[in-house]
Amino acid sequence: MRWLLSPGSTHRFADLPEPVTILRGLGGGSQGQVFAVRLGGEELALKWYLPGFLARDRGLEGRLQESIRRGSPGAAFLWPLALLRPEAPLAGVGRSAGTGGADGRGQGLSTAGWGYLMPLRPPSYRGAVDHAAGRLTISLANVLRCAFQLASGFHDLHSLGLCYKDVSLGNVFLDPERGRILIGDNDNVAVSGDGSGAVIGTWGFMAPEVALGQARPSASSDLFALAALLFQLLTRHDPFKGALELAIPCLDLPHRRRLYAEDPVFIFDPRDGRNRPDPIEHGAALLTWPIYPRTLQQLFERTFGPGLRDPVQRTLTGEWRQVLAACLDQRRLCPACGEENFVEPRASGLCWACAAPLPPPPRLLAPAGVVSVAAGNELHRHHLDPLAAEAIDQPLARVEAHPNRPALLGLRNLSTHPWTLTLAGGETITVAPGETAGLARSRELRSAAGQIRIEP
Amino acid sequence: MAFPNVRLASRPLHFIYLCDCSGSMEAQGKIQSLNQAIRQSLPDMAAVARENPEARLLVRALRFADRAAWHIQHPTPVEELHWLDLQAGGVTAMGEALELLAAELRSPPMEQRALPPVLVLISDGQPTDCFDAGLATLMAEPWARRAVRLAIAMGHDADEEVLQRFIGPGPSLPPGEVPGASGEMPRHGPGASPRRPLRANNATTLARYIQWASTAVVGAASSSASRISGAATDQGNVPLPELPPTELDPLDDPDPLKW
Repeated sequence: MRWLLSPGSTHRFADLPEPVTILRGLGGGSQGQVFAVRLGGEELALKWYLPGFLARDRGLEGRLQESIRRGSPGAAFLWPLALLRPEAPLAGVGRSAGTGGADGRGQGLSTAGWGYLMPLRPPSYRGAVDHAAGRLTISLANVLRCAFQLASGFHDLHSLGLCYKDVSLGNVFLDPERGRILIGDNDNVAVSGDGSGAVIGTWGFMAPEVALGQARPSASSDLFALAALLFQLLTRHDPFKGALELAIPCLDLPHRRRLYAEDPVFIFDPRDGRNRPDPIEHGAALLTWPIYPRTLQQLFERTFGPGLRDPVQRTLTGEWRQVLAACLDQRRLCPACGEENFVEPRASGLCWACAAPLPPPPRLLAPAGVVSVAAGNELHRHHLDPLAAEAIDQPLARVEAHPNRPALLGLRNLSTHPWTLTLAGGETITVAPGETAGLARSRELRSAAGQIRIEP
Repeated sequence: MAFPNVRLASRPLHFIYLCDCSGSMEAQGKIQSLNQAIRQSLPDMAAVARENPEARLLVRALRFADRAAWHIQHPTPVEELHWLDLQAGGVTAMGEALELLAAELRSPPMEQRALPPVLVLISDGQPTDCFDAGLATLMAEPWARRAVRLAIAMGHDADEEVLQRFIGPGPSLPPGEVPGASGEMPRHGPGASPRRPLRANNATTLARYIQWASTAVVGAASSSASRISGAATDQGNVPLPELPPTELDPLDDPDPLKW
């Protein structure tokens, strides 16, 4: 790629006390290029816009300034930190960056281009595209955690009255080891319903009313896009690619419009079977969809059914959080193959991977939730406090296997306070923060946050 | 204990270069510039392919001089592609090249389902064989009609009318509208558009256009790019991305150092 700012070059920007050193180019697209930079002792990311895009999107600067003033909605966002305008002509900027027109030769480069600073994405985060393409190894639990974090991020954004507008696989990054996400490309964020901005979305994620030009992107079109993205994360398949897509020889713009906007039919629509997945071409959807509990499937059926035409019916971010958190709570491992299953805690069922029967697991009964006992499952504040919103980033306890005896499961105290554990015989022991209590003989756990019954 | 080993369903995206290798391409290092431009564009093209899991990007190349022949016959995933230098010499059998291309766009060998193919014709001169017959054969194929057809004219001697016929009808301006009348200076020649032949009068502009075709256009054909509202290009078979900003308008460069 031909970089607009040369790696190694240093630039001064207006209102920035220290110079910015360009470390390396990270990527580029139709809007601009992104660089890793150093400012003071810190490594950050810099997005530098192409003049052609700046001419298209007149409201961009105002939007970014407002976002910077307001501050990030949450830790999941690679949120703009500062606008960067060159103080003096940039020595390292290619001529093309400055030529706002054919007459651009004599123009001061300082007036032509600009960009903004944001946090640098740590290398442990991979593009959601890599997940969809099957290029990364991730557990089902961590995919569900990523899905939860995504819903939670959009919850925070929408709560501020903002909308994102361009939800797609390309703008989300996953940490497959930790089940965390980051949301990039926040420069389209604006007050929901203000109708400004040039970008209206990406095919496959755009709500039908936006794709058809009947509405501008808003929080309710974000909800459609969020559902499409969650579906792709959870199934590695497009929610509208079924028999109707297979019937299209050349998937060009008019056909995409038909498939996603004029006559969209969800591949698992319970009332309309025209667009069912093909067993060979769409195997991913057929394999993964049954893994998830009905409660979760129904949220998709609603958004991609009645919610197609009636935005009010789309699943809300809070509903996603609630149901995705509950899915994680009912995770259990197949005793035969070890695969993760998400069936109702009291139901017996068959493992989706090997069809072995799944015995009902021991459970942790908390005042506001029930968690199946399986290595990796976690207790959170919302399990103990009925008023707390679901959040999974600060677990109070985690089910872990004994380091030498993997069949022996215990509960590690991840909180900052000791627990009092009552055993089956009635005696009590103290479990300090960081310690793990064996679950086999435990019956009740008292913590500063509340009381948990252990059902064998 | 991992996510099932599945991936997003994909369709092939055929990207085919048609390269003029006539004797005139030898002058002023044109053929070397073309080889260089294509070779340099491959890493970014591979990056775009990785970002578009719904498209299986497959590259081929046709060369034409005295005769037309496949330079890369097998549809090759871009990350496996090694560009071997084209050699110049002979006349300009462009019509035969279109015939050869037509045979490959027939179903079969074309798959039953694909994304719109991207066809890039690069020439510096006039066809010396029957262009009309070649074009007619090509355009009889539905895949050719649905393809994104781009053309790059190398230097001033290229027959832009022929290239325009390969692309199809150029964009028409609304009645009474003058290019540049919006008050903004056009960054390309008057009326420059991806739906007109792109004039590359120097190696830098050529590289820029090749880069654009192999990345931005590929992204658009696989529909992974964000949609811009009200974009004039958001019509037709594939919403064509804006042309890359060129250094100086090549039309303003009356006495180029190279060709």
